[in-house]
Amino acid sequence: MISFGARAGAFSPYLQATNFAVAGPLKPLIPAFAVKSENVLLDLKKPFLCRESLSGQCPTRGPTVSLGLSAPGSIRFAHTDIKVPDFYDYRRPDVLDPKKSSRDSDESRKAFSYLFTGATAVMGVYAAKTVVTQFVSSMSASADVLALSKIEIKLDDIPEGKNMTFKWRGKPLFVRHRTAKEIEAEAAVNLAELRDPQHDKDRVMNPKWVIVIGVCTHLGCVPIANAGDYGGYYCPCHGSHYDASGRIRKGPAPLNLEVPYYEFADDGIVIVG
Amino acid sequence: MALSQTVYNLLFRRTSTFAITIMVGAVLFERVFDQAGNAVFEQLNRGKLWKHIKHNYESKDE
Repeated sequence: MISFGARAGAFSPYLQATNFAVAGPLKPLIPAFAVKSENVLLDLKKPFLCRESLSGQCPTRGPTVSLGLSAPGSIRFAHTDIKVPDFYDYRRPDVLDPKKSSRDSDESRKAFSYLFTGATAVMGVYAAKTVVTQFVSSMSASADVLALSKIEIKLDDIPEGKNMTFKWRGKPLFVRHRTAKEIEAEAAVNLAELRDPQHDKDRVMNPKWVIVIGVCTHLGCVPIANAGDYGGYYCPCHGSHYDASGRIRKGPAPLNLEVPYYEFADDGIVIVG
Repeated sequence: MALSQTVYNLLFRRTSTFAITIMVGAVLFERVFDQAGNAVFEQLNRGKLWKHIKHNYESKDE
């Protein structure tokens, strides 16, 4: 393109894309600025090696202007009124003397610092432990609730073959004193014919006593004791038949009667809960 | 001076021993702090707590 324009001879001004250079809006990056000073001290023997050595070529008196691509333009004055801050009040006594080595007192100063850090951490651990303990213990049941949640039943009062109902945690509790015949019959039941297969020995601690919660597993009615086809419990609401171990045998209920946690105390007393 | 250096080298220098020091210190501190707090509380409420007046209400035969 350029060679074509050069060969065009007289027509070359019309063939070139740009004929005249037009000054752009951008100003020159580094404005020219002459440093005026009477006595310019030049150390001519100093080699021009780097920025630091170059600064030695500058006049040392009066305001100087330094301009460069890497540093913003600024005017430096020689300040004589700046006080160097004194940190001696904050220094440890071991390092007050600037002529003494600070390495000798190194470990004792560190021990002091870590002692305070450790003491703060100890108190923090103690506070955190206390807060967590208080919070967790606030979630557990209080003593009066715990006292109400247990029931002691005297088993001597229940004659053989009878069922007694108690109120426990707002629900009826059946305690049944089984006869030897009932025990035999329930132990001999074939598990295959049960809806909720569970052996009788898994449901009782002592085969003479059956302790179940008297809430029908169907819709929550209270069954009637010593009734129904299997001689155990019978729910009048929808006709669920339970046997003498509290297992569902007939009717709509899906599960056996629930067995709560209980333990036998020494003198004929059972504690439920 | 020698004691602080020994303590620093034995307990504070490693992070592991520093953490163990803090844990053990927390256990000891808890015991001391709680007992001191209870002692102060009982000192301030001397004669008002049940264990201070219990003997007035106990029958002799038991």
